[in-house]
Amino acid sequence: MSDEIGAEVALAHVGKRFGPITALDDVSLCVAAGEVVAITGHSGSGKSTLLNVIGGLDRPETGRVLLDGDATWERRRDARMRRGLVGFVFQQHLLLPTLTAQANVEVPLVGAGARRTERRRRAAQLLDEVGLADRAHHVPSELSGGERQRVAVARALANDPRLLLADEPTGALDSVTSKRVLDLLLEVRRRRRMTMLLVSYDPTVGSRADRTLTMTDGRLESGAVTAGVT
Amino acid sequence: MLGLIAANLARRWGRAALTALGVGIGVAMIVGLLALTQGLKESAAGLVHLGGSDLGVFQSNVSDPTASVLPASLVGRLAARRDVARATPLLLVVDAIKGDPGAVAFGADPTGFFTQRLVMVQGSRAQGAAVLVGDRLAQTRHLRPGARLTIEGRGLRIAGIYHSGIYFEDSGAVMALNQAQGLVGRAGEETAIAVQLAPRARPGPTARAIQRAFPGTQVISDPEEAARAGANATLISKAVLAIAVVALLIGGFSVMNTMAMAVIERQGELGLLSTVGWSPSRVAALILGEGVAVSLLGAGTGLLLGVVGSGALVHLLGISSYVSASVTAWGLGRGLLVGIAIGVLGGLYPAWRVTRMRPVKALARS
Repeated sequence: MSDEIGAEVALAHVGKRFGPITALDDVSLCVAAGEVVAITGHSGSGKSTLLNVIGGLDRPETGRVLLDGDATWERRRDARMRRGLVGFVFQQHLLLPTLTAQANVEVPLVGAGARRTERRRRAAQLLDEVGLADRAHHVPSELSGGERQRVAVARALANDPRLLLADEPTGALDSVTSKRVLDLLLEVRRRRRMTMLLVSYDPTVGSRADRTLTMTDGRLESGAVTAGVT
Repeated sequence: MLGLIAANLARRWGRAALTALGVGIGVAMIVGLLALTQGLKESAAGLVHLGGSDLGVFQSNVSDPTASVLPASLVGRLAARRDVARATPLLLVVDAIKGDPGAVAFGADPTGFFTQRLVMVQGSRAQGAAVLVGDRLAQTRHLRPGARLTIEGRGLRIAGIYHSGIYFEDSGAVMALNQAQGLVGRAGEETAIAVQLAPRARPGPTARAIQRAFPGTQVISDPEEAARAGANATLISKAVLAIAVVALLIGGFSVMNTMAMAVIERQGELGLLSTVGWSPSRVAALILGEGVAVSLLGAGTGLLLGVVGSGALVHLLGISSYVSASVTAWGLGRGLLVGIAIGVLGGLYPAWRVTRMRPVKALARS
């Protein structure tokens, strides 16, 4: 069990456009350390863009994004920030097809410069944590959809993130598997005391979060800001 | 990282193998030509020290030392110098021995030091129109004293088999100078003059003094000079340089094309690496590493092809009697360096492209 404590997330007047489309429109948001926030909304409402901007994968055109008080989006620093602070889970598992489950979990650790023995040990531990110890040496094509997503969760946890960003993590799964993956995400979050932002259509996701926010046409509903962000 | 490089190359092994083969052919040509150049140098070393001489005097500005023509009168003038102990004329007849066109027939003064230092291992020294055969030639052609060897269309009786310790001589045959001149219709001409120095004379200064005293001659005192003296060896050296440059350009573009395609096809994967915290420089290093790995694979194949191919080429051209492909560690090293340089050059642009990639756009293409 990790002693990590979640990161604080703060967005102030963040805007982002894709040509004529406004993806984020003056979004301000505060997420407390260790909080679980579900973000719902229609397709194209800007949920994924919001997550990408928070995780430093995309650049906001206006406003500021702060993780633990530090501004994001500066290429070199962003990679370091993602390596040490943020874990991502996507709707598609995005596993590297030629690598085994174990090697896929090791990928972030390679990026962090961990030694081979440490990588092996850590990946085995994480696969055990997500219940896939016996599937460690299988490549993604030999795993079911739910198993692949669990490997993706293990990969997201590899560098002990303090913020877990999950973009439709159950969107490509059947209802039974979805529940298992969601249970897993919430369980690892609880054990590691991480902050978690979940984007989902699934209404059951909202019911299990500390707070649910709705996005419409790039805007967050009022009440997203619960702490002073200017 | 190495495991990932290997897995990525294995995934598109056909493309990787073809790229490696292209690099390999370039490296093979470089290694093969370097082996031939080195072989020529070693042969030239034999040419300089024919008959245990210290210097070889040749006509200057000839395409190859064996194409040299010197007047017979030069020997006496050389022998009269105080810095020269002995001088003996030689006529080198190439492409003359039937069945072994690469072997050289030497016309030499029977009383000169060239002929006198030959160690007879079978038979006796030649008398009259007979010929002596080197032990290497005798072995490859299964020749014995009493048999006949055809030189310039004339069958000559073999008086004996000799060993000199010099590859060139042991792979050829020796006959009297006037007999050789008569056979090829070059009466009064010599190819070279082998010179042994007086006890206190030094090769370098003496060589320069002889060249000054006898304009139109080139005096060779070391193998490097001998290799440079022949325009053919110089041409090969320049060809190696030209091929190295061409291999770098073509191989570099080939690797660049392969890696650029890989970057385009794998944008999603590369975006994922960035998402999980790989720095832009580390993702670029992965692409560069794949380029270098393909090149190393090609260079390895090229080294093997070069070693095998250069030996085969020498036999195919029928010049194995006086040139052997000599593969050196430095020659292999240069081939390997060119291979690595191809990988680095070819991988640089795709790697740079990766550093400019925005993770979110890359992921969107997955």
